[in-house]
Amino acid sequence: MNETARDRYMKLARRRLGAPATRRTFLRGLGGVTIGLPIFSYMLNDHGEAFAGGESIPTRFGLYFIGNGVHMGQFTPSVGPDWQPPAGGSLEPLVPLKEYVSVVTGMSVPTPRHPHHSGMSAVCSGGPHLKIADVRDTIVSTMKYPSVDQVAADYLTTATPTPTPYRSLEIAVTRFRGTDEGTSFQYLSHNGSVAGETNVNPSEESPHAFWDRLFNQGTVEPLLRKARASVLDSVGTQIQDLEGKLGTKDKQRLDQHLTSIRELEARLSAPLADCEPPADPGEFPDIGSNEQVVEKNAVMTDLMVLALACGLTHTFSVLYSTCGSGAVFWMVGATDGHHYLNHTEPAPWTVGAAVARFNMEQLAVFLTKMRDTTEGAGNLLAHSSILVSTEHSEGWTHSQDDMPMLVCGHGGGRLRGNVHYRGAGDNTTRPLLTALRGAGLPLTEFGYEEGYTNAPLAELEV
Amino acid sequence: MAATACYRGADGRPGSDGATAGTDGTATDGVDTGGTDDGDLPDADLEPAPPTIHRLTQAQLHNTYLAVLGTPLELPSDLPADDLLYGFTSIAAAAATISPLAAEQYEAAAYQVLDQVWSDPVRRAALLGCEPADASDPCVAEFFAAFAKAAWRRPVATEEVDALVALSASIAADLGDVSAGLKHGAASVLQSPHFLFRVEIGVEDPNVPGLLRYTSWEMASRLSYLILAAPPDAELIALAEGDELGSVEAIEAQALRLLEDPRARPALVGFFRDFMNIAKLDALDKSVEQFPQMTATLGVSMRSELERMFENTVFDASGSFRELFTTRETFLNEELARVYGVEGVVGPELRPHTFADGSHRAGMLTSAGFLAVNAHKTQTSPTHRGRFVRIQLLCEDVPPPPEGVDTSLPAPDPNAPPQTLRERLEIHRESPSCAGCHELMDPIGFAFENFDAIGAWREVDEQGLTLDSATQINGTPVASGAEVGEVIAQLPQAAECIAQRFYEHAGAHLVEPGEEGAVQELVDTFVASDYDFRSLVVALVVNDGFRYARAEVGP
Repeated sequence: MNETARDRYMKLARRRLGAPATRRTFLRGLGGVTIGLPIFSYMLNDHGEAFAGGESIPTRFGLYFIGNGVHMGQFTPSVGPDWQPPAGGSLEPLVPLKEYVSVVTGMSVPTPRHPHHSGMSAVCSGGPHLKIADVRDTIVSTMKYPSVDQVAADYLTTATPTPTPYRSLEIAVTRFRGTDEGTSFQYLSHNGSVAGETNVNPSEESPHAFWDRLFNQGTVEPLLRKARASVLDSVGTQIQDLEGKLGTKDKQRLDQHLTSIRELEARLSAPLADCEPPADPGEFPDIGSNEQVVEKNAVMTDLMVLALACGLTHTFSVLYSTCGSGAVFWMVGATDGHHYLNHTEPAPWTVGAAVARFNMEQLAVFLTKMRDTTEGAGNLLAHSSILVSTEHSEGWTHSQDDMPMLVCGHGGGRLRGNVHYRGAGDNTTRPLLTALRGAGLPLTEFGYEEGYTNAPLAELEV
Repeated sequence: MAATACYRGADGRPGSDGATAGTDGTATDGVDTGGTDDGDLPDADLEPAPPTIHRLTQAQLHNTYLAVLGTPLELPSDLPADDLLYGFTSIAAAAATISPLAAEQYEAAAYQVLDQVWSDPVRRAALLGCEPADASDPCVAEFFAAFAKAAWRRPVATEEVDALVALSASIAADLGDVSAGLKHGAASVLQSPHFLFRVEIGVEDPNVPGLLRYTSWEMASRLSYLILAAPPDAELIALAEGDELGSVEAIEAQALRLLEDPRARPALVGFFRDFMNIAKLDALDKSVEQFPQMTATLGVSMRSELERMFENTVFDASGSFRELFTTRETFLNEELARVYGVEGVVGPELRPHTFADGSHRAGMLTSAGFLAVNAHKTQTSPTHRGRFVRIQLLCEDVPPPPEGVDTSLPAPDPNAPPQTLRERLEIHRESPSCAGCHELMDPIGFAFENFDAIGAWREVDEQGLTLDSATQINGTPVASGAEVGEVIAQLPQAAECIAQRFYEHAGAHLVEPGEEGAVQELVDTFVASDYDFRSLVVALVVNDGFRYARAEVGP
């Protein structure tokens, strides 16, 4: 079987990390078939920092993406510790959370550039985009290397003591999808591409469907679970038999199919998580052609935070809006899609700046919910490392210099928070490496090709 | 149709070594041999794309469940989305993998359809062909051989059947239920890569070194999924069994037959939907304040109108694709009629409507759907409308704005008299970095300026300024939007472009340099047929680029 980009990465990573920690199902000893999360106090030691058995509370990793950049004049806060936004600036909504939020500016995309495409792949994967072909008036591309959420998932599913039913979970908030330029205009989480295949982890944007998938599957008899797992095992054999007959690209595609089947199979044999199911949130159709962004963001936030709190996964991604998004932020006065607005609004870009600030308010909703979810002596945000990024700095120039990025959460004590590091054209991979280290990945280097770096942002780390 | 193949030189290239005369005495140089009269062997300079496996689209998956399990069947709706790549779901399906979420959806879908059959003892017995008392009953193996063959669209090896029987027996033993064991065996068939993908990999053929020939089984699938979005029917399966789909005549006869099947309509409409990029209309986003005609379903109605226009023109009227640019025949419901300012149409059902000669509407370029999807939420976009015509309908390249260029238009001078959008866009002509490309796009779009962002007719713009829609397209003067279609339809590039796009859709890849001859043949046949779309479909399935693949070199 040909190795996938992820396999190659994992081989490298394992070499760097040493053998992954043994997978332990910490609650099997309690005689139940369930993992009991949220983490109840009786499971914790006296300090509330670790489980009674000594295992530490897992660190979660998130990738949060907001398309189309910001307005740098309104975004850039004071440099150094205890950053302060300019008056009325886009980061003001994050001030109440600033002990958990570090800001990174002044980074430059080091990979060969193409509007949107290279920025998206650089800030999400630490590598170049893979151009599949020139077409019509632009190019079609995908991510050549896995997005960092998947890199973190590789580590967190093998190196943390708590097995999770889902290796990672992906959601989206706004509904616009670009369909003309390849996968990174439609999706956030990617598995990398070896031969031009498109290999994505689609984001769920329907609150009802996400709820249904996570919290409404009911219980399945153990024997039926075993039967379904046997069926999946047989499908795995069929995939392997077929792979030998295919060309390079198709083999890669079936490799992913096999990985997916194996993950599903493992979920059927793993213990069930025990989440208190919330009520069906329903759907949020447009009202008079206005997308209900605030409402969708609130309910998707609730569902994802609950999924993280009760151990359904340790890794997540939030596609708030896509690269080059055409979402219409009507609530702050936009009358056309975000990308078009960026291209056409004349100085002083009042509406564009209002959109950038509105988007930070929506991010604040997510981070606040994380912070307010108590976990042991701390909270979920304290136990998380979240990279927030966008594909260029300002929409009207599409510049990929001075990229606005955030590293949020305390990473279980690894990240300081409340620092603004301002680089001078540094590699955009530096905050990616820092965020991965913040989730506990013992990496000293990260990135691919021109995106490679061995310099984490020490200023952000404890 | 000539039955003889053209002579090939020693290196396989006509004319390359002086031996240019065909064995039948026909000179081949400079002669347009048309689409199919090269017989069953491909042109020597053909270098088609390598073979690929195609993930079934939602429509194909639905039709395959129906073909395998029969009706009635409530079809699963929570299935992996059909993405677009290069504008086509078919091309995306030839690049896509199966993510963990997709695997989960396919698993749930398999049990959902199987449970419908298994919960009805009569139906289950009909599918199984017997009521086996235990898993060793010989009819179990017979069932899986037949079921897998239908589901996988190919003969099934004994070992494959044995594996399914063993799986079922093991699960039956665990669950103490023979029938449940069989259902799980069937679930394995419906989650197999052989079911979820069209596995078309070709075989080597000594007559065509360097190429792979699609087998009769694979051709049955290619034909049927292209024309019907469905798996091969009994007649195609019989021909595949007899290996009778290697000849141009047999393929052509089958294509003509399949085009009469009612499922050909939605399947080919699917191509048109991608070609016109109108799936986007389902999420139409227009300002309700500015456009009182806007409703939650208007975008879907706009898409449906264009699709009915295509279906009617191609299947029921002249058949000429060209006529889509000029036809006055369309289909309206109440909400569309409000956009068009047509009186007396009530209710959501689309019904035929003919625009009067001399009206503002003629052909798909004056449809509300085209005009709205290529405009913004409140404003029109002459640039987007022109760009669509250049890029999608004429297959021309228009490069994007260079990086770092400020693409915003200067704010209107508050002291100057108000300007129309067209007047403001004139700045594109004054700026050398903009003029080259915008000169291609904007003038076509100016012709449509009398149609607002939702596609309704207007005499003046939002500011009350009179609009000027007189313009030129490739040197031909045009007075209004209704004249654009006729000009575009006459351009040879329009016919070449639709043929090329159909080739790309059918093969699920962009045209490669080694396929230019094959595409040219297709174009020639299409033009010779007077732009008959169904003739394009037939010419495509007998085209060498559809019947052969390139053997991949190396490991």
